[in-house]
Amino acid sequence: MANLSLKHIYKVYPNGAKAVNDFNMQIADKEFIVFVGPSGCGKSTTLRMIAGLEEITAGELKIGDAVVNGMEPKDRDIAMVFQNYALYPHMSIFENIAFGLRMRKVPDVKRYKKDDDKGHKAGEPVLDKNGKEIPIMRKYTKQELAERVNEAAEILGITEYLKRKPKEMSGGQRQRVALGRAIVRQPKVMLLDEPLSNLDAKLRTQMRSEIVKLHKKLQTTFIYVTHDQVEAMTMGTRIVVMKDGFVKQIDTPKNLYKYPANKFVAGFIGTPQMNFFEGTLKKDGDKVAIEFAGSDAKIAVPYEMLSKTTPQYLDGTKKVYIGLRAEDITLDAEKVAKSAAKIKVRISHSEELGTETLVYGDIDMNGDGFAETGTRVIIKAGGFKEIAADTVCEAALDISAIHLFDYETEESIMPRIPEYNYLDCEVVSGKLKFLGNTLDLPPAIRCEDGKGELLIPVGAVKLNGPIKAEVTAGERINGQTLLTLRVGDGRLYALADGEAESGGASIGLDFKKIILRVGRTEIAPMPEVNGLNGTFAADKGADGAKKFCLVIDGEKFCAPEQVYTKMFAATTGRKVYNSAYRYEWSPYDFAVTDNGLSAKVLETLDYGEEKFIKCAVGEEILYVKADSVSGDEVRLTPDAGKVSVVESERQIRIL
Amino acid sequence: MRKAGAKVVKAKTKRALNVLITYCILIVVAFVFFFPCLWLILASFSKSGSIYSFDGFFPKEYGFDAFKSLFTDTVMYNYPRWFLNTLFIAVMSCVLGTLLTILTAYCMSRFRFRSRKAMMKATLVLGMFPSFMGTIAVYLIMTQFGLINQQWGLILIYSAQAPMGYMVQKGFFDTIPYSIDEAARIDGASNFTVFVKFILPLSKPMLVYTALTSFTWPWSDFILPKMLLIDKDLYTVAVGLMSLGETEFARFAAGSIFIAIPIIVLYFCLVKYMINGMSAGAVKE
Repeated sequence: MANLSLKHIYKVYPNGAKAVNDFNMQIADKEFIVFVGPSGCGKSTTLRMIAGLEEITAGELKIGDAVVNGMEPKDRDIAMVFQNYALYPHMSIFENIAFGLRMRKVPDVKRYKKDDDKGHKAGEPVLDKNGKEIPIMRKYTKQELAERVNEAAEILGITEYLKRKPKEMSGGQRQRVALGRAIVRQPKVMLLDEPLSNLDAKLRTQMRSEIVKLHKKLQTTFIYVTHDQVEAMTMGTRIVVMKDGFVKQIDTPKNLYKYPANKFVAGFIGTPQMNFFEGTLKKDGDKVAIEFAGSDAKIAVPYEMLSKTTPQYLDGTKKVYIGLRAEDITLDAEKVAKSAAKIKVRISHSEELGTETLVYGDIDMNGDGFAETGTRVIIKAGGFKEIAADTVCEAALDISAIHLFDYETEESIMPRIPEYNYLDCEVVSGKLKFLGNTLDLPPAIRCEDGKGELLIPVGAVKLNGPIKAEVTAGERINGQTLLTLRVGDGRLYALADGEAESGGASIGLDFKKIILRVGRTEIAPMPEVNGLNGTFAADKGADGAKKFCLVIDGEKFCAPEQVYTKMFAATTGRKVYNSAYRYEWSPYDFAVTDNGLSAKVLETLDYGEEKFIKCAVGEEILYVKADSVSGDEVRLTPDAGKVSVVESERQIRIL
Repeated sequence: MRKAGAKVVKAKTKRALNVLITYCILIVVAFVFFFPCLWLILASFSKSGSIYSFDGFFPKEYGFDAFKSLFTDTVMYNYPRWFLNTLFIAVMSCVLGTLLTILTAYCMSRFRFRSRKAMMKATLVLGMFPSFMGTIAVYLIMTQFGLINQQWGLILIYSAQAPMGYMVQKGFFDTIPYSIDEAARIDGASNFTVFVKFILPLSKPMLVYTALTSFTWPWSDFILPKMLLIDKDLYTVAVGLMSLGETEFARFAAGSIFIAIPIIVLYFCLVKYMINGMSAGAVKE
């Protein structure tokens, strides 16, 4: 019955170990969120921070509208189910469930305890001098307790065990009691920390569906921690995949499966694990040749199928991971005959699972098919399909389901929202030609003439401007719409906030974000973040009131309350005054004033609609929006309310 | 076949010999342990009080005279009074000492605070020194506070020293899963509620052990009461018995035996609580 907001949540232990790194998430009411990841990835720590059992090092946690960072667990209106149940062993099941209610009070009005001779009856409200009822907090009555406990017990089917002690119950029953203890209080948020890990496989499946049923019935927010991807996929409305304290991806189960953002998520979600081959991509005309390393396998696919791939990987030199799920490779003779993407596989062994058979093989004719190498392949085949070991078959790959990842960073190189539009272009005397259109380059971009390439970030395509385009497709991705536009004879991706409307459109470019490479000149985009090193100090204002200031280069900028409270929250004691910070602002958050940071103007940048100045403060280079400046020196005052803060020593983002 | 048979016989004799030797050793050890007790019990039943009237090692005549005089002849040696004094001191020290010990242990087991480790190590090392090493210091402090010749002085010392041995209790608290505390805290319990409603009921065996140890020490201690108590009416049994004259050996023996009875009774009453498995079913191991 509440939404949660986690902003820049960090957990850093005194020895410097970071258990959770910059966790950001908005959880809507009634969602079923699953945190999943291998042991030690920080999922339980995050949950315990939400519960209040673990202190939040930095960041802001909201339950409903209240910031709960410093709040005791009991005041957060949450309930938690533990992996080891954590029942109270010396209490009966009834008492176990009722304990949470016994500790709490309910608002009521003062009532007469007995009938008295003035005609008041027991249970009647006592009125004060003005004839008003007197509000009090009272404990639950025996009857109320029994009602609530019985209700919870009924939902979970443990009514007949209420008089027993925990030790007289089986694992599944104990976990039900633990659930009962949580739901009886009707909390805003239910937190479940690997509740099914201690149960055997059959019970686990059963309890899994019961918890889903419970979620539907209670209509409250659930946060569920597990290391089991099957649990995550079957239960969650959204899944948070974590590794080593970092969030790897947050999405619905379907999207995680279909569009993994990195190799870790791709390998973690789905059984059997996705096949990863090493290889290279080479674009040749409208085809892309995929070469598999460690084998002589090679296939050619139409470029259209890999159009979202970051083009710098298409030159045939950069190594990539090629990911294909077991069900996207087939040995079915009919399909293989029709397919254009075929590779040879030497079968090593198979696992029969009843409805399907997992066939293990190797695309390297010398590989053994057992070890997890860059050539081993697992193929899903129909039930009880017998394939003799050591036979060499042809397998067809479903290229529409291919996933490509960078070899080093392991991030997807064909993300759902591509980073850049890569285009060929030509610059002729200050004019930029691309896709059959010609635009004037603004004065800020000075480029030599010649042919080259143009990288337009999808976010830099403005949906108004001089270029005629046609919207051919729109795809909703995480609250944004990715538009596919036809411009001249080429294609352009752009982002829109609302729903896509197909038809004609006119677009423009945000020149400060583009990358242009012509000959030896490379025009870099203007940085969107200006960083400055500084400290934090307390100061007395003119009126004698205490103020807190960001100190940069000896200049003080008074911070508003929402800024300094967060800086205090992220540090203990007086450490806030002794730490170094990196303050960041966007170019729009500076004002040119009479006092403030002294900056040396290096260059004025005219992007047509907007003008910026490039200036130096000490050794830092700043880009500031300013329409006109006079002289080489300006004084800049950043807007302290819009600052982003990173604590330098622990690399913690505070704001 | 004959050879094999001989082997079996040989093994049997060897085993019998082993058992025999074991029993011999056990008998000798048991004798060494029990002879003084036996001698004391027999001496307490001696008719004449003096040790010099014994016929060699054992008394000449037996009777209940010593026990009778212990409780009737209270003019010179007020044994019932000493007994009550000891009981008072021991019970008070037991209650206070147990309380302090378990609070210390709970605190060390459940809370993480600065210098916790240093304090744990310090108490561990200090606990290794025998308590009478500090006797002179204790005496001086007691003089300063004017607690010489007062029973409360003794009670204070005993209960203050008890938490030095908190390690065993902490070890026990450590075995109670922390998730129970956490579950209770989420349910709305404060630290104190957690302690009273969960930790204490779950550590009954440990409480009994703690209470027993903090009772027996003041009950049988000699050095501290001897040093701090001057008035004969305030004496504890141990000090009082020591003040008996040489001719009162039987009475000494009888007093020594009588003082053992409460501890035995206490032990038999409480031993049933010292069972394990109280926390079974709380969490999945």
